[in-house]
Amino acid sequence: MRCELRLDTQVRANHPGHPNCRFRRIVLEERKKPTLVLLAAFTSTGPREVSPDATLLPRLLQKDVSAFEQLYDRHSRLVYGLVLRILRQASISEEVVQDVFLQLWRNADQYDASRGPFVPWLCTMARNRALDRLRLKSERQRRREDQPDELPSAIVAPEYEKVLDDKRRAERVRALMASLSPQQKKAIELAYFEGLSHSEIAAALEEPLGTVKSWIRNGLLRLKEGLQATS
Amino acid sequence: MKNCDQFRERTEAYALGALDPEERVALEVHLASGCPDCTKAVEEARWLVSQLAYTAPEAAPSDMLKGRLLQTVRAEAQSQAKPHAMPSKSAIPFWLLAGVAALVVFSIYSAWNTRRLHDEIREANNRAAELVQQRQKIEQELLLAKREATILMDPSSVNIALKGSDAQGPQLKAKWHSEWGVVVMGENIPMPSPHHVLQLWFIPKAPGKMPMPSMMVRPDANGRFVLLVSSPPESMDATKALAISEEPEGGSPWPTNPPRYSGGVS
Repeated sequence: MRCELRLDTQVRANHPGHPNCRFRRIVLEERKKPTLVLLAAFTSTGPREVSPDATLLPRLLQKDVSAFEQLYDRHSRLVYGLVLRILRQASISEEVVQDVFLQLWRNADQYDASRGPFVPWLCTMARNRALDRLRLKSERQRRREDQPDELPSAIVAPEYEKVLDDKRRAERVRALMASLSPQQKKAIELAYFEGLSHSEIAAALEEPLGTVKSWIRNGLLRLKEGLQATS
Repeated sequence: MKNCDQFRERTEAYALGALDPEERVALEVHLASGCPDCTKAVEEARWLVSQLAYTAPEAAPSDMLKGRLLQTVRAEAQSQAKPHAMPSKSAIPFWLLAGVAALVVFSIYSAWNTRRLHDEIREANNRAAELVQQRQKIEQELLLAKREATILMDPSSVNIALKGSDAQGPQLKAKWHSEWGVVVMGENIPMPSPHHVLQLWFIPKAPGKMPMPSMMVRPDANGRFVLLVSSPPESMDATKALAISEEPEGGSPWPTNPPRYSGGVS
């Protein structure tokens, strides 16, 4: 499936009340879907560490195959691991990963990476595409219309966030997830990796709906607090 | 913003895609209303949720995937380096064409839908008019039935017996209420000749005055009929007698046959 990734720099004009905000809108269009919009926005007010991605992504504009290869080498394990965790089948997972990276390559001319939370965006797109494939596989007859857009509408890195490499970030997130109660962890994983809703998780775990909602919310809030504290 | 609390506590689940449709739609409606705080909360929640990707165990895709990707990417990079080899790209981007096409399709659909709605509204109006007519008819009948009942039950109504020209034949009964009118009832009445009806006449007291024509009726299969004359052509005081004669269908301004039934108004 071919997608076009575009950047709308005009979006800054839509947000006059926040002079410190820097916005980039990436519009993703697919033949079979309505226009999907990813607004990658940052609230950076001070200097921030520069990720190597920030230097590699602009080189895609010049159709620099080597830069693409480096980006792939940097993130393909993370993206593939995520997709494989969702789909559990290597061949389909590789198709999804291929789709995600080709999309990045083909539409890089309109993507300004220097300010983008690139990895969150890449992972969110990969997750959405993998869940879409999962539903195609198992739930073709239902739910598709009930789902949010395949791509995220907007991602904002919080103030406290700083650039870490994938390895350190993974260690931090995993440690925090391990500190959650088993029920919180299970409920969040069912939602994130299986794409289940509150009521579906409640049915799967045979627990009251309200309890499941609390597990997910409290678990995510704890994760958030943990990330904030370790920043 | 009012009522933000209930939405704010759902932003994480929304970013996770875990909200059930009802809650999700409510939150999206709220976001669409332009609440800046909740919008920011959702955007940050998406970042938080994106961090969960790191909990999946990393895995290396096959070398073949990288090979395929690089092959595609190199081929595309080379073809871009030779733009003359590429088919000329339209100045109008694909998304714009798609948008215009969608607009055209939508316009056609809207026109068709509007026409269909107009037809449905017209049909509904017709049905409503029919129902109003039916209701008016029923109300009219009810009113007449009430009037008949009043005339028949009111002790001040005057009884009139209309005897047949054949003494052995059936009698008709009439009741005349000075205010509400006259009811004439018959049972076992022989049918009038084909294309003929029974017509009621008011015979005035004034000498030389012609009988006043009134309503017409054909008895039912059992020879029964009930006639209600709400506004008699003559007052009770000025009427000598009631009479019924057989007249051609459509009635007659004056009697063309001798009366079959008649009775004096006392």
